[in-house]
Formats: sequence, C-alpha cells, structure tokens
Amino acid sequence: MLNALLFVGLPYVAIFVCIAGSIYRFHSNRFSYSALSSQFLENKKLLWGSVPWHIGLGILFVLHLLPVLMPGPWAVLVANTVALWTIEIVGLAAAILALGGLGLLIFRRLVNPYVQAISTSMDFVVLALFLGQIILGIVTALSFRWGARWAPGTTTPYLWSLLTLQPDPSYVADMPVVIKMHITGAWLIVLAIPFSRLVHVFSLPFEYLFRRPQKVVWNNPRRSQARAAEVPVVEERRLFLRGFAGLAAGGALLSVGVLDKLVRFYRGPSLSPAEEAELMERNVKKLQMTLQEREFELERMRQDYILVARLSELDARRGKYFIDYQMRPALAYLGEDGLPLFISAKCTHLGCTVQSDMNAEGKILCPCHVSYFDVKTGEPTPGSPALTPLPHIGWVVMDDKDQVIASKWPGKAVVGKVPAESKASCRVFIAKEHGETA
Amino acid sequence: MDVKAQVSMVFHLDKCIGCHTCSVACKNIWTDRPGAEYMWWNNVETKPGTGYPTRWEDQEHYKGGWRVDEHGGGDRDLELRCQSKADSFLKLFYNPNQPGLQDYYEPWTYTYQDLFDAPQGDDQPTALPVSQITGQPMDIKAGPNWDDDLSGSPIYAENDINLDELTDEERAQMFEIERMSMFYLPRICNHCANPSCVASCPSGALYKRGEDGVVLIDQEKCRGWRACVAACPYKKIYFNWKTGKSEKCILCYPRLETGQAPACFHSCVGRIRYLGVLLYDADRVADAMKVPDRALVESQRSVLLDPHDPEVISAALANGISEGFLEAAQDSPVWDYVMRWKLALPLHIEYRTMPMLFYVPPLLPVLGKGENGVFENTAGGLFGTLDKSRMPIKYMARLFSAGNVDVVNASLRKLLAVRFHKRAQQLGDIPADEVRRVMHEAGLDEEAAEAIYRLTALPTQEDRYVLPPLQREEAVAGTCNPELCKGSCGLGFSQKPKRGA
Repeated sequence: MLNALLFVGLPYVAIFVCIAGSIYRFHSNRFSYSALSSQFLENKKLLWGSVPWHIGLGILFVLHLLPVLMPGPWAVLVANTVALWTIEIVGLAAAILALGGLGLLIFRRLVNPYVQAISTSMDFVVLALFLGQIILGIVTALSFRWGARWAPGTTTPYLWSLLTLQPDPSYVADMPVVIKMHITGAWLIVLAIPFSRLVHVFSLPFEYLFRRPQKVVWNNPRRSQARAAEVPVVEERRLFLRGFAGLAAGGALLSVGVLDKLVRFYRGPSLSPAEEAELMERNVKKLQMTLQEREFELERMRQDYILVARLSELDARRGKYFIDYQMRPALAYLGEDGLPLFISAKCTHLGCTVQSDMNAEGKILCPCHVSYFDVKTGEPTPGSPALTPLPHIGWVVMDDKDQVIASKWPGKAVVGKVPAESKASCRVFIAKEHGETA
Repeated sequence: MDVKAQVSMVFHLDKCIGCHTCSVACKNIWTDRPGAEYMWWNNVETKPGTGYPTRWEDQEHYKGGWRVDEHGGGDRDLELRCQSKADSFLKLFYNPNQPGLQDYYEPWTYTYQDLFDAPQGDDQPTALPVSQITGQPMDIKAGPNWDDDLSGSPIYAENDINLDELTDEERAQMFEIERMSMFYLPRICNHCANPSCVASCPSGALYKRGEDGVVLIDQEKCRGWRACVAACPYKKIYFNWKTGKSEKCILCYPRLETGQAPACFHSCVGRIRYLGVLLYDADRVADAMKVPDRALVESQRSVLLDPHDPEVISAALANGISEGFLEAAQDSPVWDYVMRWKLALPLHIEYRTMPMLFYVPPLLPVLGKGENGVFENTAGGLFGTLDKSRMPIKYMARLFSAGNVDVVNASLRKLLAVRFHKRAQQLGDIPADEVRRVMHEAGLDEEAAEAIYRLTALPTQEDRYVLPPLQREEAVAGTCNPELCKGSCGLGFSQKPKRGA
C-alpha cells in the first residue's frame, strides 16, 4: 500500500502538479517566474556556493538521466570495469562538489542578514529537500555500490513503466530503505518546482544561443501598415494560414498512421509464399536449436561429473560462472583454504543472476533489487530484499589421472586432500550425486 | 537604408550647476520603493571623480560594452566584453562582472519615530541611520554622490580612470588647489543605438522601441539573469534586489507619450537639457562602431541622417515613421547641436554602444593664478586660450571623443568663438579682427554663432523639448499614469508586483 502510494501515486501527482502548476504560474504570475538572485547583496560566498552546486547537480542529473534514456548502450558501457569505476567516481565527486556548494548556500542564507532579507520559507524547504536528497544519494552510492550497474534493471524499467502509463512499483518496492527514500525525495523535489524558486529550470534561456544581438519592438500599427503596402498578404492572415497548414499536415500524418494500423489489424498478417516459406524455415531452425539444447542438457545430466575449471583458474575475488545440473547459474571461487568454493548465483529473492565480482567486504551483488550476499556464508546482508541465503554447491577435485582426490558435500567437511605440488594440474568438477541436493 | 527615429538628448555641461534636482525628480517618480532605494536612474557626478557606481568607467574591471575582435584578413567583429554565447550559460549561476551593493552604496533611512517615542531624558533624542535592506543600524560609509564637489580630493578624484593618460605634470597642475577645477556630469541611460544590454539579455527581455528608440526592459520577460547589468558600460541598468529584476531609465515614456518632457528634463534648473528626434540608418550602426577609436565620433555622425534630405524622408515614411515624427526631427535641437554645429559629443563612445545622449563639453579657460595668496588675472586675453584650459584637453577627449583631442578642440573652439562674438557685440571691448580670426578658426559664421547663442542662452521650453507627437492609442498597452505607478514597479504595471516564492 505504502509502495503504491510512494512509487505510483506520488510520482503521478508530482508530475501532474509540476506541469500544470508551472504552466498556471507562468500565466498567472509571470513576473515571479525565476529564481530571486541574491548575488547583488552577497557575492563572495555565492561564487563558491552556487557554481559548484550547479555544476555538480548538472553532472548528477546527466548521470541519472542517461541510463533512463538509453538503457541498452548504458548497460554495455558499465559492463566495462574501467568505465564503471570512472562513472562511479565522477558521480561521487559531483555529489561531494554539490554537497559542498549546497552547504555554503545554506550557511550564507542562515547567517547573512542581507540574504535573509530576501529569503522565503520556501527557499529553506527547497534547500532542505536538496540537502536530504544529496546525502541519501551519497549513502546509496557508498553502501549499495555499482548503482550504474543495477540502475538499468531497476529504476530504469520503473521510470519507463511510469512513463508508459503501466506503473509497476515492484521494480523498486523491494529495494533497501535508503534507495526508496532517495526515489521519494526526487518526486518531492519535482512536486516543489511550481511552488518555489525552482521554476527557473524552465526559464533557461536556450533561445539566446540562436537570436540576433539586437531586438526592436514596434508598438504602433504604422509600421505594419507601412510593411503591408510592400507585402500584399496581410501578416495575420498569413500567420493563420501557416498555422492552419501546420496543424493540417500534422493531423494528416497522425490519421494516416492510425488508419494504417487499423487496416493492418483487421486484415491480419498477410505474407507472400516466399516470406511464408522463410518464416517456416526460421521456425524449424529454432526448433532444431532447442532440440540440440535439450539434448545437450540431457547429455550433461547423464554425466557423473561436469568440469567447471582447472583449480589454478579459480580466483578468490572474481567468480567464474558455470551452470549446475539443474541448468541454474552458479559461481566458483577459490576459498581461503585454497580449495574451491561453489555458490549458487540465482538470487533467492526473484531469481536474477548475481554478479561475480566480490566487493571489499567479500559480498556479491544482485543488481535487480540491490541484495548483497556474503560468499562465505551465503547469507544476505540485513536490509536486502532477499531473505534466504544463497546455497553452496558441492564439488569434486580430480588429479591429472582422473582420480578423485578431494570432495565436499554442501554443509559437510572436506573429504580428502589436495597436495600442493599437484594443484597446478588439478581440475574441479561438480558431481551428479551432489547435484540432486543443491 | 533602414531609417529609424530616436528620441535623443543633449546636455549642455557649461550650464549644469550640479544641484541634483533632476536626480531627485526621477527618484520621486520612479525609484522611491523597496528594492530600488539605491538606484539613481539619473545621477550627477563631479568630474574628475569616480562616479556612481564607484569607478564605473573602468571596463577592465566591469567589462561593459563592446570590443572589436580582429580576425584574419582584416575582418573586424563586435563582441560583448562581458560574455560570449558559449559562456553566457555558466554566468547564469554567478556573474563575475556584476557590481555588488558595495560598488554602489547601502541605502539607509533614519529612525525618525525615535524622535517622537523617546522617553524624557537629559539629552535630545537622535534618529539613528538604519539600513533599508536589513533594517539594522549601520555606519554610513558611502552614498550615491559621495565625492560630490570633491574633485581636488586625492582619495576620490585621484581614482578617476580618465586621468590615466595624463602626465604627472598635468595631474599636479590639475590638483593644484588654486587651479582646482571641476564640472558636473549628469547621467541617464544613453538609449544607445547599438545597446550592449539588449544584446546580452539571455531572456530577450530588453528591447529598443521601434518608434522612438527608448530602451526598455519587459519586466514580465526578465528572468533576473543579470547579464545586462554587467554588459551596460555606463552601469545604467540596476538590479532590483527585492523583485529580482533589472530596471533602468525609461526616459519617462509615459510622460513622453502624453506630450511631457521626462521628469529630469522638466525639472532641470540650469535648463541644460535638450530633447529632440534624430534619424539614423540602423543598417549601418554595427559597421560604424567597428572603426578605430579615433574615428568613432565621426563614424557615429555618418550614421545620423539629415531629416531635410528628400531621400531620407521617403525612406523614413516607407519604414513607418510618421510625418509628425519627421517634422519633430527637422525642428530637433539635438540635430542642431550634434550635426549642424557639431558641438555636442557622445560620452565614452569607445564603449561602442553608439550612445544617443550627447554632451556639450564645458569650456573651462584659465582666468587667473594664485600667487603668494593673491589672485591675479594672468590670462592673456579675457578668455585665455584653449591650451591653457584648466581641464586638460586630453581629459576631455578621454570622456567625449575616445581620446581624439581634435574633436573636442573643434567643439570648444566654437564655444569660445560664440563668446568672443557676443562679447564684442554687447561690450565692444574686443577688436573686430580678433573676433573674425577666432570665428574663422572655429569655422563659424555670425548667423550660426547667433543661433548657438540663442539656443544655448535664451531657449524656451518649446525650443528645448521638441517632442514628437506620440499618440496615446498607439502607445504601449501597459502604459500607465505615472501617478498610478508611483510606489509600485512603474514599468507597465498598475499594481504592486508580487514575487511569491
């Protein structure tokens, strides 16, 4: 209920009020449609407050907007570790820059009597909202790391579900409280726009980039009358015709598009024999591929052991993905004891695949709803949406003569030993006998 | 040829007595309200002096006006000194060139009520100064005409930027106490033909009225980005700290439209002000302002069009300028001063905004010299010569002709010739050939000298203010009665502007 209110009700109210309110304010009190600059009264602290604040905020705005506008390319970009680190560091730096600027802006508004003379209570509401929002954002970035990676699977589809009028709060409903507060804060800021100095974001003077330097305005009709003598068409009529033509053209395009869709819908699909044959061929190929996959799965199931990796290939921090007997994703690490450590990579919350890189605390992240799991125990961090631990998976180590020299059942102690000198040649398997219990 | 009409102005500095009546008239009508207390749309400065805001002429600091950008191939372009289109967006958050309150002065009032409310005591109650911004008691450290009449003062006048080019000797001469001289410089918005404020406005709120060339700020469109405050080299655009909008001299357009001269003109005690129409070719303005500094005054004159020329008249009519306006242009005292006699010169034309307010430079010849505490008339003739002028010509040239001494000399020589002519005529104590020589050197004939004398010394109100017949029904929709506007914003509003959050 609360989720529906905060993540469906609030955003729609905020967006509607923001748009309608901003339009209403523009028409009813255009005079007030700006931020009230206090630079005239205090300009030293403003320099070090306003400039970092606006630049930091601008960077943050772009970094938040990009994964929404182009989730595909963004996901490809952040798959690269260097790009991911760069984005996270730039974002965090921008947030700290903005926080510093905002702090100074708040300080001067609280302390300077000249700035106080023109401050309204709404100014303080706006400053408080932004302060909370920036702090929540920094906490999110630090404690739920790799937001650039999990955002395309969570907040992006959530925003698109809002935009396409099919609101689905479940994308964010299970997220940690801090992130939920950060999202709610964003909607509150949107809500505050038409009632505060924030309307100035809608009066950014883009027109200035394109206009000519000088501007002359004629107030009396003599000028247009004089011009009318040169041009036979009356200006207004020409404007009306132009507007009408524009509307008609737009309307025509729209109706052609709609009619086309309607006609296609009622006629149903129509394919030429060649196209039909091609379609059939494609379907057959698809079926063949599925069949091959199934056979491959069966083949796997029949084997007693499936090779995961050489023991020397395993890494303590960066997991190696493999598929277990039930065709589920799992991760292979090198444990502290120098022996393999296998853990399921299927999130116990809603089944997403957990990421392979451990963070500094030895935890791995499910990017869908920001659950962290401890690799050693499998336990989720408190506050994560996932409640049950990721299960460990049993393994078998064989030497180069295909002899089992060590094995481990989940939850039990290791049987056998891996001599140090043979480690290089050892291979790690999952065993069918373990598979049933995993 | 794009003929435009401009209601323009001449201030005759020889007649200014520095009484500030113009400033007070303007203040009472337009800027006597919260947020505008510190604004003086009309102010009078003592020259040499630093002016208001302090050292406003220092464009290295304030970055007002245009500069010429030299490209390869001899191309010259006018660029705003304060911003380019690219960096204008960065300057929205913080404008490094915007003068702050400390550059003007902190407006104050007194706790007059204390005089009535104070309990009985041994001492007289006093009215303490309090800030009109914070309401807190304050020390008064500056005012709008703080260096008034202090032109000999080293702490104020010495900082006048126009003295930079003088030699130490010339400076010493100027500040020698007995020879100390000064004049007054009344300033309003120049209503420039190439305004840098209009070009700088990100919101497009500033515009020049097509009919009369008055530069105005649309208060409803102004978004308070403050670029114009920095861009105006004359610092005649002010930021209203209460409404967050820029404001400027509106040439009392509600008065103009009802056939009255602007308040500062109307109230002028010395009758130094003239108002009339000039025609100019708007197509050529930008090019005319690209020439080297020395040629700027002549270049501006070349853009002004003769209202008696039939070709100009037909082009003006085709451009929608009314016959009434043309008649006013033909009778214009400004045309006489600026073009017919070439007496009046623009202020700081090197800012290249093509100001449409012209000044007749003051004639300050040496009359005598103090020696051993005795004042002796040492000048050769009665009026001395221009070379011995108390105010170095270089200083005048820095103000009125972008450093071109010849232009100022030509103007002063004519003023001197008129005095010779009248002196000889009325008192007969100057030899006739001497008068003829001076007149010849100045390039004046008797008729012109007589006309200059009449328009300078004996003008009636009708001679000084030749107002074009602006019709009320053709005027701005938002125009309102000045009395109605008093106490409110006064710029197209008939009610108090409400800011809200």
